Amino acid sequence: MAAKSQALPSPRRRAGGFARRETITFYLLIAPWLLGFLLFVLGPMLASLGISFTRWDLLSPAKLIGLDNYEKLFTRDPLFWQSLKVTAVYTAVYVPLELAGGLVLAMLMNQKIRGVSVFRTIYYLPSVLPAVAFIVVWIWILHPDVGLINTLLSYVGVDGPRWLANPRWSLPALLMMSLWGLGRGMVIYLASLQGIPKHLYEAAAIDGASGWQSFRKITLPLLTPTIFFNLVLSIISTFQTFTGAFVATNGGPLDSTLFYVLYLYRQAFQFFNMGYASALAWVLFVIIMVLTLVIVRTSDRWVYYEGERG
Amino acid sequence: MKRFTWIASIVVILVMVLSECGTPEPQIVIRVGTGDAGEGLKPHEEIIARFEAENPDIDVQLEAVAGDYYARLLTQAAAGDAPDIIMVGDDAVPEFVSKGVFLPLEPFIQGKYPLDTSIYLPSVLDPGQWDDKQWLLPKDFSPLGVYYNKKIFDQYDVAYPKDGWTWDDMLKSAQELTKDTDGDGKTDLWGIQLTANWTTGFEYYVAAAGGRLISEDGTQFVGYMDSPETISAVQWLADLYNKYKVAPPPADLTGWAGGNPEFENGKAAMRLFGRWPQSGLRTNPNVDLALVGVPAGKVRANVLFWGGFGIYAKTANPDAAWRFLRFYAGEPGSQVWKDWALPAVASVAESSGAVKDPIEGVWLNELSYLVPRAYVFTPYWGQTANPALGKALETVLIDPAADVATVMQTAAREAQTALDELLAQ
Repeated sequence: MAAKSQALPSPRRRAGGFARRETITFYLLIAPWLLGFLLFVLGPMLASLGISFTRWDLLSPAKLIGLDNYEKLFTRDPLFWQSLKVTAVYTAVYVPLELAGGLVLAMLMNQKIRGVSVFRTIYYLPSVLPAVAFIVVWIWILHPDVGLINTLLSYVGVDGPRWLANPRWSLPALLMMSLWGLGRGMVIYLASLQGIPKHLYEAAAIDGASGWQSFRKITLPLLTPTIFFNLVLSIISTFQTFTGAFVATNGGPLDSTLFYVLYLYRQAFQFFNMGYASALAWVLFVIIMVLTLVIVRTSDRWVYYEGERG
Repeated sequence: MKRFTWIASIVVILVMVLSECGTPEPQIVIRVGTGDAGEGLKPHEEIIARFEAENPDIDVQLEAVAGDYYARLLTQAAAGDAPDIIMVGDDAVPEFVSKGVFLPLEPFIQGKYPLDTSIYLPSVLDPGQWDDKQWLLPKDFSPLGVYYNKKIFDQYDVAYPKDGWTWDDMLKSAQELTKDTDGDGKTDLWGIQLTANWTTGFEYYVAAAGGRLISEDGTQFVGYMDSPETISAVQWLADLYNKYKVAPPPADLTGWAGGNPEFENGKAAMRLFGRWPQSGLRTNPNVDLALVGVPAGKVRANVLFWGGFGIYAKTANPDAAWRFLRFYAGEPGSQVWKDWALPAVASVAESSGAVKDPIEGVWLNELSYLVPRAYVFTPYWGQTANPALGKALETVLIDPAADVATVMQTAAREAQTALDELLAQ
């Protein structure tokens, strides 16, 4: 990334009025985004930091209680730990699956065969469908007595589990449901697969490289920036998993699918403990930020950018 | 020519805009907030149309928020901009009233546009009260009942359930109708479809077992949620699922109806639930529908589910809002609601034939056996005992070996700790 940004000339180095005009144009052009960010993201974020030190139910005046919310969260709230555990386990399983699965799909969709665009559409479709609509369909697919999966399993003599009603199977069931959204990562991989210069493969082929070798030595290294991008995005969004559990399981059975954000939502919009929910939100923010920083810091060890000496 | 067209159209638009301003119609706007959606909005729209025809000085605007209705409502209330008329469900009443969202209705009921509250069926006004004052008027309501499919009873020559039946009668019928019809070792026909870990529905079992979940003063769960009566109610529900196996195991444990399709599919003979799916069941070809009151345990009891309307405390037009509310929830509105729900006004229940209807009459008759629900005793029910009770029910449903008494003691303690903390604040 650093290499790329250096290629752009820095406006400050240019001389005179043109530079200033360019600067003004620059700020004018990003103003809509910047204003939106300040008003609707940064402002509320800072407000929520303030709210996290209070007890507030939206209607009665907020009461300053210092670090009580944070203290309760870490010392007296088993559901906080439970929701953190559910989310961490889910992230640890889902993110690698999404990264690898998306890549495999992208490789398949990168074949030059007739009608491949139809398949691309099919695999990408779930990512643009309204989540609730496909979750409701999945609830019926997973139905223990009349659902598609257990009916198919019964044909081969397997007594399928009671998916969403069984605390051991509910999280895997949600995982399975989410993998339907692999198409999102696939599209990004696909774009960067198609950006890999053909001549590299040709040269490798002339040198007698096998398919696996050219994948290992050409495709994978050139994809690392995309993998890096997908990894960060995937971790951030997986830590914020909400809809599936909200619609299909309501966090149950026995809190086995109580995702962090679902718990936060409950505190905020079912119990109206705005202060406590804000504290939860800030803890999540810190967790995600630390994870992202760790990944970014370690990325130069494994992410390869073209133009760099590898 | 082009320029002329431009000027002409601008003139026309100006004339239209100005003439709009010219006809002064000082209409009062009344906003109505509801969590209903889709089909459910039709009765609202019809009542509003009827009201506006009679009251041209008031313009009623329906604001439907599907999904996160309460979250939106509280945000609006926090900003001082909630709708003038607000609909809320039973267990939200104490919370919203104690946070000062509603105006007390007595001054209006006795005021310039009075309302005779004796027009309502007995007990449908109660859920709109808090601290001995009336805050909301009823929109719709439902007790629990047991639907049964006459087809299945006839086929196996089992006598229909009769009003005044008991838990033992229910178990007997359910056992007679739980069958493995194809001999593969799996049940194909179930006796009765129940409501899994639905906590509010479960309050019926507790009441019928002669117990209660919270002390009269609203401060104690310990000694109530773990009383012998409550434990016997939990045991009974768990046994119907796990010991007698007369109920289809829940497909989900989201805390609502259990996700079972058996009754609709003609694969369960009975179903304990409220009135909500009734219109679909009446036209369902798999079901020859009939209804009976819920069976008595130690005592005969039932619980009410209820939605009502109140007036927003900061409304700019309390009088206009009341004029609409009195129409909406009064006799004229009830004439419309009767086609969608149980009518709350006694004369409408009588004139519409609901009282004599073999199904609607059963619901209305159940109103004589109501006991107050637990939320009536504390505004904190939703965030203290409700989750604890839900988890306890999940535990005993999932694990047939779980000791019900221990589970309920844990739940009671958990709920008590949460309540004590809130009461100390």
